[in-house]
Amino acid sequence: MDLRQRNILSLVLIGILVIGSWALFWPPKTRITQGLDLQGGLSVILTAQPTASTPITNEAMGRATTIVQNRVDKLGASEASVQRQGNDSILIQLPGVKNAQEALKVLGSTGQLEFVDVASITDSATVAAIQNMRTDTAAKDRPQLKAGTYQPIGAPGAALTGGVIKTAEVGTDETNGQIVVNVTFDTNGTKTWAEYTAQNIGKQVAIVLDGVVQSAPVVQSAIPDGRTQISGSFSADTAKYLSTVLQTGALPVSLKPSDTRVVGPTLGQDSLRAALLAALAGLIVVSIYLLFFYRALGGLAVFALGIFASLYLGALALLSSLNVFAMSLPGLAGVVLTIGIASDTSILIIERFREEVRMGKTYRSAATSGSRHAIGTSVDADLVTFVSALVLYVVAIGPVRGFALTLILGIVLDLITALLFTRPSLILLAESVVGKAPRFWGVAKESAQVTAKPGKPSQKGGVANA
Amino acid sequence: MRRRIDFMGLRKVFFGISIALVLISIGAIAVRGLTFGIEFKGGTVIDISKSQGVTIEEVRKTFDQRDITDAGIQTSEGGAYIIRITETDPQKATKLASDVASELGINTADYQVMTIGPNWGKNITNRALLALSLSMLAILVYISLRFAEWKMAVAAIIALAHDIIITLGIYALTGRELTPNTLAALLAIMGYSLYDTIVVFHRIRENSQYLVKQTFFDMATDSINQVLTRSINTSLMALIPMVSMYFLGGETLKDFAFALVIGLISGAYSSVAVAAPIYATWKSSEPKYKALSKKYAAQSS
Repeated sequence: MDLRQRNILSLVLIGILVIGSWALFWPPKTRITQGLDLQGGLSVILTAQPTASTPITNEAMGRATTIVQNRVDKLGASEASVQRQGNDSILIQLPGVKNAQEALKVLGSTGQLEFVDVASITDSATVAAIQNMRTDTAAKDRPQLKAGTYQPIGAPGAALTGGVIKTAEVGTDETNGQIVVNVTFDTNGTKTWAEYTAQNIGKQVAIVLDGVVQSAPVVQSAIPDGRTQISGSFSADTAKYLSTVLQTGALPVSLKPSDTRVVGPTLGQDSLRAALLAALAGLIVVSIYLLFFYRALGGLAVFALGIFASLYLGALALLSSLNVFAMSLPGLAGVVLTIGIASDTSILIIERFREEVRMGKTYRSAATSGSRHAIGTSVDADLVTFVSALVLYVVAIGPVRGFALTLILGIVLDLITALLFTRPSLILLAESVVGKAPRFWGVAKESAQVTAKPGKPSQKGGVANA
Repeated sequence: MRRRIDFMGLRKVFFGISIALVLISIGAIAVRGLTFGIEFKGGTVIDISKSQGVTIEEVRKTFDQRDITDAGIQTSEGGAYIIRITETDPQKATKLASDVASELGINTADYQVMTIGPNWGKNITNRALLALSLSMLAILVYISLRFAEWKMAVAAIIALAHDIIITLGIYALTGRELTPNTLAALLAIMGYSLYDTIVVFHRIRENSQYLVKQTFFDMATDSINQVLTRSINTSLMALIPMVSMYFLGGETLKDFAFALVIGLISGAYSSVAVAAPIYATWKSSEPKYKALSKKYAAQSS
């Protein structure tokens, strides 16, 4: 394949990428997830407070995250998200939540695990729902118990709660190989559990975390020694979930809200409009400047900006659909900053091209070697910003990571645009049309200089022609 | 052809200006100190964007009535109020905000509350310092590897420190709050400040391979002049969107834009007026280039 074919292939490839990007991001309002600061809602970072008796371990944080997830499910917020951040924090995002105060109260409460005799539940609809439960019932469909409508197993003061559970592990049944959850109780728990199971064989027991029924196994036999096996059609995941729930009698670490933000929905949309306006205004002024300064080659730069923007939005939509990205205000700041980064690469390419023309090279070789040099410089210069942004993304906690992410993405896509679009286009244009209308392409002065000094050897760096 | 600016001839003027700016900045930071946002200290910020014509006296009264006398109330454009209080309990802060809003007749959709816990600031500060020092280290390693010459690396780092100190100095002078966003912007400034420096250094290195019959200073001046248009244009292209963000964006975007505008201007200036002259001065004292200076200095300057 010769150079020309390769350049044309690059353009075809970028064309496909641009079409693919449009398919991904259009319409952007629904395809690119908006962060909490834009769509409004409640965002909380809970941070574990270590004490001598409850050190922060990876396992403790995992359990704490499960409890928090359970509470969030209970709030019924759709699109809520719970993520671990750093080694001691959990980020909770509740978009569009109506009552922030209530949500904060629920999130801040201590986890309460209870064993409930289903027969004691007074609300018959709930009982029916519990009887229909399966091990894979989705979190939002799990029945909820209202306080006062049920009775935990055991005498008041000696009730079976999370505190009595010693261990809860996923295992396999030795007889049939099914996945089960094995539970052991402490001395008091064993006693209460033994008394209850002896008298209630064949009855259903609800395992309830913070008022939500997690599982409702049937007592198969009396369990005098506390060693309990919960069976059912568990998958590895559902069994793991139940064992975690059983271990979470109380939060394994104390969680305190460290960064809480309540954003009114109109406020977020106003900020979004302002940010988009700023980006658009920046883009327009930059485009006008490029066209004014570099004529038709400026047009190439503006075109490159358009392609860059398409790829960028496509990538954001892709990341949104994978649930790893939500556009935030700091993220938008990163996007606006990248407009500059993207036009800078084009400027370096065009300037270098013009300079090499001035040195007496043919348009074609000036385009080839000029764009190679310029992209090399650009990679160097961008790498530094890339490294800083990467450090920020890894080290920082909270909204500022959005800035780092959009910046990283922008730098990568800028280089892809330069390599696959700007360079091949410039070479193809230089080969064909630039020579026919040097004034239009903004290289008339450069060409004139060359003709004025015939026989000048083309010299790298062009000191003599500066 | 455009005029050739004698950057190296002017280097003493540039150094004078830069040293003065850095000293003023350090003085401002030492005397006035930097104001840190509540993200670093803990507390609550209530941001009321659509105040429905409520006056600042009315806002102050609602807080005074609740015995919150240390509320810092700041007006922002478009009749918005930003209120800072020391409350670190998010439940209390959220309730307070909703009570205040309903008392002032403000829609619940139109305000924003941010509460930072008392110990969080230390965490944020540590992480910020870690991010800054890691970036610095990475940049140092990168530059020394890339340029294969430590004198370039040192000159670039001095220019970088110059930009960061001046940016912080302006924060101290204007009393603007430093937030985690500001620090993120500072990291971006480091990258951007190096952008122009790298473009200039690339050219100096390229030209130094053909250096004959000319002093190192003259060659450096030529190099800067050769890349000046693109340095100015790349800086402008980065600056324009930031200026537009500063004027059109909300509070968060202004946070980024303010730091970036200062940093970008300082970065563009320092690449040609600090980094390159320091490097050239240093190189000129090397025996190889000293000889060139002796021979050609008279006729070129």
